Amino acid sequence: MSEKTQVEDIDRSLHDTKNENKYRYKSEKGLTPEVIKDISREKDEPQWMTDFRLKSLEIYQQKEIPDWGADLSDLNLDEIIAYIRPDADLQSDWDEVPEEIKNTFDSLGIPEAEKKSLAGVGAQYDSEVVYHNLKEELVEQGVIYMDMENAIKEYEDVVKEHFMQLITPNDHKFSALHGAVWSGGSFVYVPAGVKVDIPLQSYFRFNAPGAGQFEHTLIILEEGAEAHFIEGCSAPQYSINNLHAGAVELFVGENASLRYSTIENWSRNMYNLNTKRALVEEDGVIEWVSGSFGSKVSMLYPMSILKGKGARAEFTGVTFAAEGQYLDTGAQVIHAAPHTTSTVNTRSIAKGGGKAYYRGLLKATENAHHAKATVSCESLMLDNDSVSDTLPIMKLETDDIDIGHEAKVGRISEESIYYLMSRGIDEEEAKAMIVRGFVEPIAKELPLEYAVELNNLISLELEGTIG
Amino acid sequence: MYTKKLVDNLTTGQSKLLSQKRKNSFNQYSNLAEKNFKRIGLFDYQTPEYRAYNKEYIKNKKGLDELIITKMTDNLNNEAEIMAYLDKFTEPLVEKGNKGLGAKYTSMVDAFYNTGLFIKAPAGKEFKVPVEIFYLLEKDNPFLIDNNLIVAEEGSKLTVVIDYEMEVEDFEAFHNGLTRVIVEANAVLNIIKVQRFNDQSVNFDSNFSIISNQGEVNWIPIELGAKTSITNNENLLAEDGSKANISSVYFADGERKMDLAYKMNHQGRHSFSEIETKGVLKDRAKKVFRGDLYFQKGSSQASGAESEEVLMLDKTVVSDSIPALFSEEDNVEGEHAVSAGQIDQNRLFYLMSRGMNEAEAKRMMIEAAFNPIFDKIPLNELKGSVINDIKTRIRE
Repeated sequence: MSEKTQVEDIDRSLHDTKNENKYRYKSEKGLTPEVIKDISREKDEPQWMTDFRLKSLEIYQQKEIPDWGADLSDLNLDEIIAYIRPDADLQSDWDEVPEEIKNTFDSLGIPEAEKKSLAGVGAQYDSEVVYHNLKEELVEQGVIYMDMENAIKEYEDVVKEHFMQLITPNDHKFSALHGAVWSGGSFVYVPAGVKVDIPLQSYFRFNAPGAGQFEHTLIILEEGAEAHFIEGCSAPQYSINNLHAGAVELFVGENASLRYSTIENWSRNMYNLNTKRALVEEDGVIEWVSGSFGSKVSMLYPMSILKGKGARAEFTGVTFAAEGQYLDTGAQVIHAAPHTTSTVNTRSIAKGGGKAYYRGLLKATENAHHAKATVSCESLMLDNDSVSDTLPIMKLETDDIDIGHEAKVGRISEESIYYLMSRGIDEEEAKAMIVRGFVEPIAKELPLEYAVELNNLISLELEGTIG
Repeated sequence: MYTKKLVDNLTTGQSKLLSQKRKNSFNQYSNLAEKNFKRIGLFDYQTPEYRAYNKEYIKNKKGLDELIITKMTDNLNNEAEIMAYLDKFTEPLVEKGNKGLGAKYTSMVDAFYNTGLFIKAPAGKEFKVPVEIFYLLEKDNPFLIDNNLIVAEEGSKLTVVIDYEMEVEDFEAFHNGLTRVIVEANAVLNIIKVQRFNDQSVNFDSNFSIISNQGEVNWIPIELGAKTSITNNENLLAEDGSKANISSVYFADGERKMDLAYKMNHQGRHSFSEIETKGVLKDRAKKVFRGDLYFQKGSSQASGAESEEVLMLDKTVVSDSIPALFSEEDNVEGEHAVSAGQIDQNRLFYLMSRGMNEAEAKRMMIEAAFNPIFDKIPLNELKGSVINDIKTRIRE
């Protein structure tokens, strides 16, 4: 007799707290060149950035909303206010962060994380970074970790050379929008040979009805550098549709190694249309760890471009789509050089009418001889109201490669439950173990406190119903 | 060229209902825009001028006395029966999943077919000998639009071989085909299709099946020719315990472009499907493979598997693979696997260490990969000539 497994939703009460809004500056609804100039003036940006924003706006106005993937017809872009700055200046000391904002962060566990000797915290409150701190020894090694606004002024040359070169405004409508209205985000620079052994964290968060979040993350690792960056997202629940169109650009130098971890847990009215890309030089390594749990709609396909010989990409992702969610995620890997390797390993869970879509791209260009790639996608369906789709695209333009792909869909197998039960484990626990085991490959890639959070997020309460 | 006047000519002397079907399809056809095939790079294709096809194409009827086989172009007295079968394909649930190469191409067949057969295996009859259909394209008959309907009634067993072949090498032929298949309860139908057009010709082919309770269809598409070949095979596993299998082989060399799309649409419970594709790419060939496993809500305990193996013999080939898995039902098992790469160097080395030269060793390995599928071809002569063709082309 087949049985159904009941899995409860994530408990959102912790993450859906919101504070009253106090704003110092709030731009008008809709986007015009004047609004863009205002934003740029308010930020006191160099002229090239103002011009870049205006150029992006032009492209944005010409581009159509994509007609594939998720339904974006409820997204009213004019309604989404481009730029909101919280009533707080940049802080260097936690004590000076306003109480109200601190309370929100407290409930998310950020200061605790800091105490546990994390390297730095750049928490984005609405559109600007409100708190920044970086360990002394890292500063001495020449590591730069600061908000993008200041990076543009202090490290203008480096930023100008890299900013929106990997993700250009021409890529799609939302990258153009990002180019026009981007605000906040992190800049990380790790000099040659420096190994940052503690993860750099930033916690992004929204707190304004109708506010767009367009943070820009730019990470540059010079030759032989190593770092781990953690991006965590959580947002309070609102009635107006919210849009997140951030951009993450990662430059991994020769022999450098970067791990980029994300747990996205936007509230269930969010449109998460984020763009992430990494460019990896010779023998460099990019590792993505990505968890998508929240949002109403996600379209997120981090891309690794293996540009240098021997470059390597690893992608580990888990997507959990519950009621009312359409999570369209996947990894893209471009093998553009010889002897490059990539591994993509994803798990998705769909329940309660949720829709989980894996959409991936694996491309080997004509230069990519001796490339090796494996892709493995597994989907777990917890009921038959949900939908789980897998669409991996493989484009191979040379012969001397070794490509393997596997995908599976199904539900918890009764044999596995039976086996565990025969070992004296009760049925409920057996099912819980199997679901935990299913996301285990992702959980084990995260630092401990994030793995704990992942477990909290999933917070799987399993309840067997007989028959 | 493809006007109402042509339809009127084609319907002259044809029975009433099928004439009406041609006319309706023409209306649909003329309202549709031309279709492009982006991935394979076929844009604004101009269909050549309509030509009649004047060759006999039923090759073998021996031992098939009880089989019903008539030409769709004739003035038929059983057309009400044919229409009833055709209408099954326009029911909303069936039509939803069956797009073929798109309505432009399927309605073109329904309006302008110049050949095609209605083949029916009566209930309970098991045919040991395959029906052989041989569409030969030659200078005087370079244009083929075949509209086939194959029905296996309850409990029957039948094998149909359709061989698309060409005689001389220096002209351009056109083929657009549509084969509809109905497999009733407990029937087994095997269909082998071999396509060997020359390097100047264009091939379009759509195939649909509807499979009832415990029925089974086995397709063996073998794609070896044409400058551009775009084919499609869609199966609706409509009822409980229905089965569909596609075992296909493609060999693309020279400048050849191939687009193969296979789909298994599971509606019935305990339905079972399998797609197994093996291919070789050589020279500057380009191939797109799409395999869809679709589990509709309610198809509980269905299972589907899909695999593609590509051997790439040259640096200049291009291979796209898009295996998709769509599921609305939790109680299913679906999986797909793709592997692509060169010939296994260790095995090659082993064979060469036994005294074979490289070309021979490669040929042997490709044959070994294809043989399990070729073994399903029931006609030794056809099998032999297909194997010879491939051998010659590997050597070139």
